[in-house]
Amino acid sequence: MAGDAQKSNRVESLALNGVFAAVSFFLLFLLPVATDTGPANSGWWTQPWLMPSATLAILCLANLITLARGWIQLRSSPPQAAETGEAWAAIRGWFRPLEFFLYFLAYIWLLGRIGYFFSTLLFIQFLLVRTGLRSLRWILAGFGAALVMTVVFRWGLGIWVPTADIYALLPDAARKFMTKWF
Amino acid sequence: MDFFLLGLQQLSDVSVALAMVFGAIIGVIVGAIPGAGAAVTIAILLPTTFSMDPLTGITLLLGVYCGSAYGSAIPAVLINTPGSPVAVLTAMEAYPMTKRGEGRRALSIAYSSSFVGGVIAVSAMIFLTEPLARLSSRFGSPEFAMVAVFALILVIVGHRGQRLEATAALTFGMFLATIGLERAFNTQRYTFDQTFLMSGMPLVPIVIGLFAISEAIVQMTSERGEQAAPKLAGRFFDGFLEIFRYPVTLFGSSVVGVIIGIMPGVGEFLAQQVNYVWAKKLSKSPELFGKGSPEGIIVSEATNNAVPPAAFIPMLALGIPGEELTAMMLAVFLVHNIVPGPQLFTSNPQFVAGLYTTLLLMNVVIIVFLMFATRWIALIAVVEKRFVGALILTLALVGTYATSYRLSDPFIALFFGLVGFVLRRHKWPVTPILLGLVMGPIVEGRLRQALGTANGDFTVFVSRPISAVMVAAIFLLVALTIRAEWKRKKSLEEWQISVD
Repeated sequence: MAGDAQKSNRVESLALNGVFAAVSFFLLFLLPVATDTGPANSGWWTQPWLMPSATLAILCLANLITLARGWIQLRSSPPQAAETGEAWAAIRGWFRPLEFFLYFLAYIWLLGRIGYFFSTLLFIQFLLVRTGLRSLRWILAGFGAALVMTVVFRWGLGIWVPTADIYALLPDAARKFMTKWF
Repeated sequence: MDFFLLGLQQLSDVSVALAMVFGAIIGVIVGAIPGAGAAVTIAILLPTTFSMDPLTGITLLLGVYCGSAYGSAIPAVLINTPGSPVAVLTAMEAYPMTKRGEGRRALSIAYSSSFVGGVIAVSAMIFLTEPLARLSSRFGSPEFAMVAVFALILVIVGHRGQRLEATAALTFGMFLATIGLERAFNTQRYTFDQTFLMSGMPLVPIVIGLFAISEAIVQMTSERGEQAAPKLAGRFFDGFLEIFRYPVTLFGSSVVGVIIGIMPGVGEFLAQQVNYVWAKKLSKSPELFGKGSPEGIIVSEATNNAVPPAAFIPMLALGIPGEELTAMMLAVFLVHNIVPGPQLFTSNPQFVAGLYTTLLLMNVVIIVFLMFATRWIALIAVVEKRFVGALILTLALVGTYATSYRLSDPFIALFFGLVGFVLRRHKWPVTPILLGLVMGPIVEGRLRQALGTANGDFTVFVSRPISAVMVAAIFLLVALTIRAEWKRKKSLEEWQISVD
């Protein structure tokens, strides 16, 4: 079983190396359109394309060798169908963070709507529920964490955040208070 | 003496003193939480220090930096889970002692070794940085360019077994550093007319993405990580003086840690390996190594704490960071318009004095804090991983959006969070990306200047003595690495043949 896991990792690693090599070559091919050339009378060492081309050339070479090494290893002991299937499942796992990234973007959106404290509270509670931490203990821990973050960043360090839309609905004094502290 | 009085004068500023204490406490706590650590915390706190006075901001981050090195020993000793990767050796040596009911003794050995290693390294920093900076005042662009190239090669060589991956990561970081408006002719590189890319790739969102967001995702997608609270057994002060029974191991590990720490990109792992090998050979009881040896803990912790201050030496003297944390520190220095190098010691001696004094006193603050707070920190060390992940992702907002208010920054951070997550999954090194990002402009600028003065003639790098020595060192390093690799492969083949 351990061997299977190792083999599926090899396929996944090869796929990753392939992606890295493809991206680095793509960036290298973009070089003529993505950089300019300096005046003709200036030395070659001043050319704007020099550093990107040098770094990308080494990047491509390193990725290509890594890819070739993985390919040769895989050829010497070809993967079975089940192992390849496992590798695909693992590759799908690369995109698992995207779910959390969507939540993070929602958090930023909420920040301007309901303010730092409430958006932070909501975000932490949501993440805890999503990751399976659903007991009262974790709800309280999340509340405490949101409060501490507000105290440290808003009260202590005075980090600025956009004025929340919801505070506009409050009476003047309450709006000022909430805008300043929460 | 006057120098330390000047340093103490800086510390009389309440904000600096508070930053030192709070930084140290935060550092110890995050160091004790597996998955949190100094890199993640500094990445998150980095932008909040931009509005502070330079010494205050840097002191806060230094506190996190130093404190975490001590704190990472706590879970390693008590629950066999290193707070950071460099505490693996501590776990290996200290956990067997904890199982024997000597947890407190193991902890006090770890703390006191860390203290000695830290103090020796800061002392080395005080005595070596200024002479090195004075030497660097004789450097021109060719010398700086070759020192920077040497540092890059060391970063690659230091990643034994992953040198190709480290090369790819380093050059990727250097490529990222070229994006934006290029200064020589004001042309754009890889911006595709996007305004947010004109000023270059922002360092802070990349750091937060690579180190904090990727770690948050790893933690949140991990299995249930809560463990039972560890029990502290034995007497706490047992090990404090015990370390002095092994002076060779203690001081030898610290000194070797300092020497290796000065070399950019090499880091704690190699220093630990080197120290472990000779300490075991010289030990009167080598059979205890790996089974709960006090000397093993001394090696691990004295080295761990000697390397970080030593990494400051090339950073302060030459502006060359050795690892991810000094690279982040360099970013803070530059934001506060503090340019490392020889002029720093003449133009801003009060800052340097304050920095040294803070680093020395920091070790005292941390050890005093640990003497009283270990019991409670041990409880934090077993906190649920998913909760830690949720907190890190929430805190990432402060660094990515709440300090710049540009929507592009969170997107950049999330993109690099994905990159960091995938790289970690495959155990690719992430740190070289950051080092490439920080070192790229230094290398490009210095190479351009050097070749400019020689009208493009490469012999400029070998026609000046210091630069020629650096070129020779680069070739020697590469040749020795290839030879060592070839020998390793040959012995592996011989071993395989003998097994077959």
